[in-house]
Amino acid sequence: MSVHEQFADDLSLYALGALQGEERLAVEKHLRDCPDCRHELAQLQGDLALLALSVSGPKPPLRSRERLMTTIAKEPRGTRVRLVKRKTWRTALAWAAAAAAVTVMLLLLRQNTDLQQRVAALEADSAGQQKQLLQAKELLAALTSADAVHFTLVAGKIPPQPQGKAIYLRSTSTLVFLASNMPALPPQKTYELWLIPTSGAPIPAGLFRPDTHGSAALIKPPLPTGIEAKTFAVTVEPASGSAAPTSTPIMVGIGG
Amino acid sequence: MSRAASTVVSSDAMLVSAIRSGDEQAMAQLYERYSAIIYSVALRVLGDTGAAEDILQEVFLRLWRSPDTFDATRGSLPGWLAVITRNRAIDSLRKRRPEADITDVVVSIEPDLASTAESSRALEKIRGTLEGMPLPQRSALEMAFFEGLTHTEIAEKTGEPLGTIKTRIRAGLLTLRKAFNP
Repeated sequence: MSVHEQFADDLSLYALGALQGEERLAVEKHLRDCPDCRHELAQLQGDLALLALSVSGPKPPLRSRERLMTTIAKEPRGTRVRLVKRKTWRTALAWAAAAAAVTVMLLLLRQNTDLQQRVAALEADSAGQQKQLLQAKELLAALTSADAVHFTLVAGKIPPQPQGKAIYLRSTSTLVFLASNMPALPPQKTYELWLIPTSGAPIPAGLFRPDTHGSAALIKPPLPTGIEAKTFAVTVEPASGSAAPTSTPIMVGIGG
Repeated sequence: MSRAASTVVSSDAMLVSAIRSGDEQAMAQLYERYSAIIYSVALRVLGDTGAAEDILQEVFLRLWRSPDTFDATRGSLPGWLAVITRNRAIDSLRKRRPEADITDVVVSIEPDLASTAESSRALEKIRGTLEGMPLPQRSALEMAFFEGLTHTEIAEKTGEPLGTIKTRIRAGLLTLRKAFNP
């Protein structure tokens, strides 16, 4: 436990209530950020309490106890009443102002605590989302990177065939399409993926050209929302793509 | 905090908790336990029995009305009472509004002041430590604590440099602490 030397003397004075103005503000600002110095302040208050005890001895008159207990008995719990007889109205006003200030401070303190908790929760959420985002980005990079190596596993000695895999989530219109072993195309041609709805015409779901290994990926192409897919299909289209298939599908989905 | 102090906290904490639910007997027990400390401190600062009684009433009533201002997990009740009594008495002496938020006062203290025997031993040790201090150090400490003088006022009064007064005050407090944490 180490106290910041530049505040060492001032902390003692602060505990005594002897600091004013900028010196006091500087110590209070530092205390907010420094648990070590807050601990030291509590220790200093303890030292002051020891000093206070050095005068312990005289007992209050007996009437004092009676006065206190009578006041307490008369005072309904949770209310505030005027009580010290010798107080002038100015002192009462001062106490009221102080009580109001304390109440406001407590409210602000609570508000501050609530805000800090919300900020902490948001930060935690944000950190979680950042992590998820990073994972998603890594996944996308792995799927779409030209450097990624794709392996197609087949049974026996069957040579790999062109193959596509479409994963579609209707509720969010999210589509991921991966293709492998696709034959290369002349420059003026492209592959086009189609969403075949349960009713109505095929909907364009993105253009793709395979890389040198015959692999391609379409990640979340723009699609109308809420369309129920019967299947997906791939056609060969002019390089700019088509609004409707202009050739027979070379691949059609077989399951759902 | 020591184990002894923890015992004080749990015992006093139970009484403060009872006060929360309006238990007057709990208040009476705390009065028996700590009224002499509070009254003595107020009397030493104010030098007037009537004014000291007023402070005594005020401090206990604040505890009765707002028991939550004392957080038993953060410090010692008698230490807290002694410090807020001194602060309130100094405010009264200097005719100023109470300026400290008492919820901010956290007091770490070693001796078990709820125990009479321990309290007597502690008192003896504190007085012995104060008597063993160099007079200028003790004097600076007492002027700051019991008279509520600022370091600047003490420097003016004694003709000593400001830095010397600051150092004496801190050194005096650390000497008291070391008496209980050798």
